[in-house]
Amino acid sequence: MKASRYWRVGVALVLALGLSAGAASAQEKIVVGAGQPITGRFAFAGKHINDGLADSLALANEKGGIAGKKIEYIFEDTGYDTNRAVASFKKLMAQHKPVIMYGESTGVGKAMAPEINNTYKVLYGSTSFSEELADRKANPYMIVSGPTYAQQFGILLKYIAANPKKKGVAPKVAFFYSDTEFGRDPIPHAREMAKKLGVEVVAEEVTQVGAVDVTSQLLDMKRKAPDYCIFQGYVVAPIADVIKGARDYGMDTTFMGTFWTMDKQLLDALGPDGEGYMGVNPYAYWWDEDVPEIKAIRDFNKRNHPEITYRPNSYMQGWFTGMIFVKAMRMCAEKKLPITGENLKNMVPQIKDWDTNGLTGKVSIKDTNSTNVGRVYKADVKKGIFVPASDWIYLD
Amino acid sequence: MRIGDFKETYAADEAVFRTPTVRFWLWALAAALLVFPLLAGEYLIYMANITAVAVVGAVGLNLLTGCTGLISLGHAGFMGVGAYTSAILITKFGVPFILTLPISGLAAALCGVIVGAPSLRMKGLYLCIATLAAQVILEFTFVHWESLTHGIRGLNVPAPTLFGLSLASGPAFYYVIMIVAAISVTASRNLFRTRVGRAFIAIRDRDISAQLMGINLFQYKLYAFALSSFFAGMAGCLMVNLLKVVTPEQYPLHLSIQYLAMIIVGGLGSILGSILGAIFMTIVPELLRSALGLFQGLDPQIMSYLFPLQTVIFGALIVGFLVFEPHGLAEMWRRAKAYFRLWPFEY
Repeated sequence: MKASRYWRVGVALVLALGLSAGAASAQEKIVVGAGQPITGRFAFAGKHINDGLADSLALANEKGGIAGKKIEYIFEDTGYDTNRAVASFKKLMAQHKPVIMYGESTGVGKAMAPEINNTYKVLYGSTSFSEELADRKANPYMIVSGPTYAQQFGILLKYIAANPKKKGVAPKVAFFYSDTEFGRDPIPHAREMAKKLGVEVVAEEVTQVGAVDVTSQLLDMKRKAPDYCIFQGYVVAPIADVIKGARDYGMDTTFMGTFWTMDKQLLDALGPDGEGYMGVNPYAYWWDEDVPEIKAIRDFNKRNHPEITYRPNSYMQGWFTGMIFVKAMRMCAEKKLPITGENLKNMVPQIKDWDTNGLTGKVSIKDTNSTNVGRVYKADVKKGIFVPASDWIYLD
Repeated sequence: MRIGDFKETYAADEAVFRTPTVRFWLWALAAALLVFPLLAGEYLIYMANITAVAVVGAVGLNLLTGCTGLISLGHAGFMGVGAYTSAILITKFGVPFILTLPISGLAAALCGVIVGAPSLRMKGLYLCIATLAAQVILEFTFVHWESLTHGIRGLNVPAPTLFGLSLASGPAFYYVIMIVAAISVTASRNLFRTRVGRAFIAIRDRDISAQLMGINLFQYKLYAFALSSFFAGMAGCLMVNLLKVVTPEQYPLHLSIQYLAMIIVGGLGSILGSILGAIFMTIVPELLRSALGLFQGLDPQIMSYLFPLQTVIFGALIVGFLVFEPHGLAEMWRRAKAYFRLWPFEY
């Protein structure tokens, strides 16, 4: 009898200890999960986005974490495949119960939206700049870590309207986009925006992605002679062919790009033809000297990855996403709210005039869960980098 | 070890599942599938769901490519037709999910018949290119018929219901998918005991002699296309109701090739092969990812290099299987069974 009582007390003690230890360890860390496209079609950026996000959260941990709690970052590769990404999302949710999730592509965001809204209720960031995901009414838990593609077009059009090639004449612009979701996403909005700003859209050229023949599009553009031409939905090819072709035809169109075509990689591909190339980037670049956050990024890399000499702008996207996550967590902590997906989601629209140390302009989240701010840069072909052509441009 | 298995009637000789042992294991499998969602979590159920959808699709393609010898690169396109048919019927006309299942199949079958029409005059690589054209045309249609498909944004469908019961949760929909998969597998297995199925095999083995035997080649090739696309359409319907969204980018050429890989790895012309191939192509990448994920604790940085490795390992596995067993997983399974049949008294 006595022996069995001891036995029971022992079991109870072990159980109590085990449970409290489990509870304690669960409280000490905040889990951020991610399904990253490290392999597959999107690997060119996925790897860097992942590094940026991981490093950004690691820096927050170095600075003491969130109210004494450490952030734990757990990621998986999703191979840019919707089925695998959804599987990975469910697995991470089941195993680690994160309060924030990061995912690849617009498609995955759309596939997960009903379950994020109704079941998982976690703050969700992604590689996508799609307008649809930034729509707070439909997807309250989702954030776009930059201006949406439509807003990026808005920023460029605003710049074009302010800098017409001939004074007093409405600038003429062409849209050159790929026949994909990525290419078509901002176009309807861009047409409206152009009309509002008094910019005339003279041509819309649509092609497939990759090394395709662009002669017919070039001939059409030559006829319509736009002052500016904005690319959307490409990464490298066929932009170089279009620009080289336009130079051969003697056109003096200024070519512009949005986030994915504003990387050093494109300038390297363009070579001397890159002269005059411009575009919008939501973030500062690795080589910017007078930006405190870029200095912090370089210091962090020097300390933790001494072999690194350069980080592309997809790394900055990941880094900035981490900054938003940390900002929302800190806001929760300041208000003494528990850090849950629900509370984090409620913090996002309250971000006002947030100083990101120069990595972006001042961030105020307005009617959509996106940042509304970007900067126009132009190529400096000699140095092979982009330099600012405008100050930060804000959209209303 | 199995002994004393005598076939005493024609019915016994023609049975699909011939021995008590096979029947026992089949019931065991059915029971395991039945209790699986009670024990497994969301993630495992989701994996089971996409695997079962892949089984339906792969069985369909195997009817066409493995059994009739007609190569198709348009399978993903037909799945897309099924997916869109279901999504459009549900969102625009409020048709219940369960009714859209056969209708999606029929819509895809209709497309299949149209695409299959040139197959009378084309074989091998030529047919391959014709079906490739179908895939491209279908993808183009999904993107550009905006009034119906909502273009690149795709369609969102509400959670499916069945007779008023919500199938929103993974486990509930699991049973629907499993039943459809079971019916598909049984139906195609039985098909080969009918004139149609045997005609398919005759066409595959030598079309001229099949014609001499009185098989109307055109008619039966179209049957094969229709049946195969019917399964693809149903798989597409299940997929859209599982993911609750359909976009054109979900049904690319890449997916067609993946299905071809499934039936080749599994074993051409074998129903079991389609099942094993579908399981292999869906589960193994996940297993590889989980296995490599174990290293994440050691050093998070190392993962950026390890994850790309899984694609290489997976590719090597496929090549390895094909080199060492060209008849696919089904043949490996058969040999494993043959080995154990008399074990341990082989000699």
